[in-house]
Amino acid sequence: MEQPFFHVSFRPNVKLVSTVRRFTAEFYERVLVDQEVSEKVALATHELLENAVAYALDGETGIRIEVVEDLLTIKTWNRTSPERAEAVKTAIEQMNQESDPDKYYQTMLEKTAYRTDGSGLGLARIRAEADMAVKCVIDSDKVCIEASTSLRRRK
Amino acid sequence: MSIQLAKLSGGVISAEASLEAGSAGVLRVRFSGTADLEAKADLDVFVKGLHAEAVRLGATRVIVDFRELEFMNSSCFKIFVAWLAQVRDLDPTQQYRIHLLSNPNQLWQRRSLAALSCFAVDLVAIET
Repeated sequence: MEQPFFHVSFRPNVKLVSTVRRFTAEFYERVLVDQEVSEKVALATHELLENAVAYALDGETGIRIEVVEDLLTIKTWNRTSPERAEAVKTAIEQMNQESDPDKYYQTMLEKTAYRTDGSGLGLARIRAEADMAVKCVIDSDKVCIEASTSLRRRK
Repeated sequence: MSIQLAKLSGGVISAEASLEAGSAGVLRVRFSGTADLEAKADLDVFVKGLHAEAVRLGATRVIVDFRELEFMNSSCFKIFVAWLAQVRDLDPTQQYRIHLLSNPNQLWQRRSLAALSCFAVDLVAIET
């Protein structure tokens, strides 16, 4: 069976994030014929892209969504500062230390309620609401965040 | 008594609040469109105004209709989390309940609104 994928890179424009979210949701609903998975893809795509767009140094953001065997993976990447790359890495490591995604999400909701800067909820939301594992790969100044979920139980 | 809160319109998100006819102390607010980064600043002002009006009017309940809202990002979601925290922090005599009307066909609404409900379990009810 052919492994479906979707791959695009674009200059950061906040307005394009919702456009890409709608497109990917429809694309994967047609390919996988599974509305729940396509909505998970939509949620994670939106959150990952908004982060990537906000912190891209050179104006370019990329996204690839692929299905390899039973694993659907969303990858977004951008060039960013070493400080931002380190902050993302640390945030993901801290999140993954808590084995219960919902518990971590609720902890983050309590923290964000009184924050005056960003929400800090995006990655925890992907993990808890979209049931996706999240990891980060840093290569020099390029940060790639991957969110993945198994499709096996849907067969 | 009337509600003094300007309608939110003209951008990617729309919202309008009103007093519920025939139900004293009940406000209703309807959201539609997309709550993303473009909408965040306006949404923040609107929700803060909604809370101020609910307190001023001595509301007992605010009905929040999300059924026509296509999507909400985490930045906008945080606005609602902060709102719930404000209500939770009020003196109990001033607190009001929040009734969320959701579209069960949208995954983000099922998951996000359930998370809001867990955050303020004594204040929030969800109706599908």
